[in-house]
Amino acid sequence: MAIPRTRYYRYAIFTIILGLVTYLAFGYGSRSFEAYCPFGGAESLWGLFTAGEFTCALGPLNLSLMLALLVLVLISKKTFCGWACPIGFLSELGGRLGGLLWKKRPRVTPKANGWLKLFRYAVLIVALYFTFRTGELILRGYDPFYLIFSGFGHGSAGIISLVVLALLAIGTLVVPMMFCRYLCPMGAVFDPFSRLGVIKIMRNETTCTNCGSCSKACVQDIPVQQLRVIRHRDCTNCLECLDACPEKDTLQLRAGL
Amino acid sequence: MRIPKLTIPLIVIASLFGGYFLRSAFTQPTTTVAYDQKSGAKATFIVDGVKCKGTAAFFTSLYDSIPGIIGIETFAGEHKAVFTYDPERISRDSIRTIMEAPIPFDDGTSEQIFKCLSVE
Repeated sequence: MAIPRTRYYRYAIFTIILGLVTYLAFGYGSRSFEAYCPFGGAESLWGLFTAGEFTCALGPLNLSLMLALLVLVLISKKTFCGWACPIGFLSELGGRLGGLLWKKRPRVTPKANGWLKLFRYAVLIVALYFTFRTGELILRGYDPFYLIFSGFGHGSAGIISLVVLALLAIGTLVVPMMFCRYLCPMGAVFDPFSRLGVIKIMRNETTCTNCGSCSKACVQDIPVQQLRVIRHRDCTNCLECLDACPEKDTLQLRAGL
Repeated sequence: MRIPKLTIPLIVIASLFGGYFLRSAFTQPTTTVAYDQKSGAKATFIVDGVKCKGTAAFFTSLYDSIPGIIGIETFAGEHKAVFTYDPERISRDSIRTIMEAPIPFDDGTSEQIFKCLSVE
């Protein structure tokens, strides 16, 4: 099956960003790779409000990137996750690799999927609570972004970090986008804004043949063929469904409330 | 209104650049220490080793009893320390020498923790 052209664009942007983060991780550039993590913006809020100072290794770039991405979410849902996040990219690649390895991959039922997604709110609460309370980036040792790019640097929890990363890698092979769906605290921050995103995918019900290609192509497992307007909080506007749809103009990218 | 597919990568790139250039609007120090209220000369040091609030606090503690240091602001994300100092009592070179001096440990050994990469 041919790879859709949009995916080339997406993977090109992903690769450039992954390359930049790797470049920074090797100590090049004037800032640490951590300075580019938008979730750091959320973690820095308490310190800024209470003491006017950034927490731990965080800085203004974390905050400005988070705010810029919140604006992006209001414009175009979780587009950052599907087009630029290095962990989103690695998760997607892992999911596709898992698709090649498994003949019939076990599927998470929609009900279980809904419950499991609550974990990311728990991760968000734990991360913010302990960061605000201790002034340290307490989840570093379990954060795949930090562990991968720091090479298990300062703050990692040794064998526990290794086990966590291994479990995440294996989990991603079994459940596509497992980290993004169930554990990413940045995704939890985006959630309430994502439903409001102005640019979204709409399905023309009269021309749709209900073939299910769109739902099958969705890396976030959104039941696209059952929805008229894809307001789903997990939609990243990756456009895989548009490319998979065999009926011309049935799925369209549109701006509207 | 129908939107071309190419809009999506363009707004992603625009938002990332927007976030990058917006950073100067939120510049706040990681730590701020003021030893005196008077004004003085400013010197900005890029220091390898100032990478979080803990290392920044340790870094500033090296100057707690140094005459001529009026205040220090650190910016961990940029590995930066901005000194306000009295040039008649201490020089930039002396400030640099203090930060680069080996730090003695309890076991009798010592190690250089901070290294100045540049001075402005």
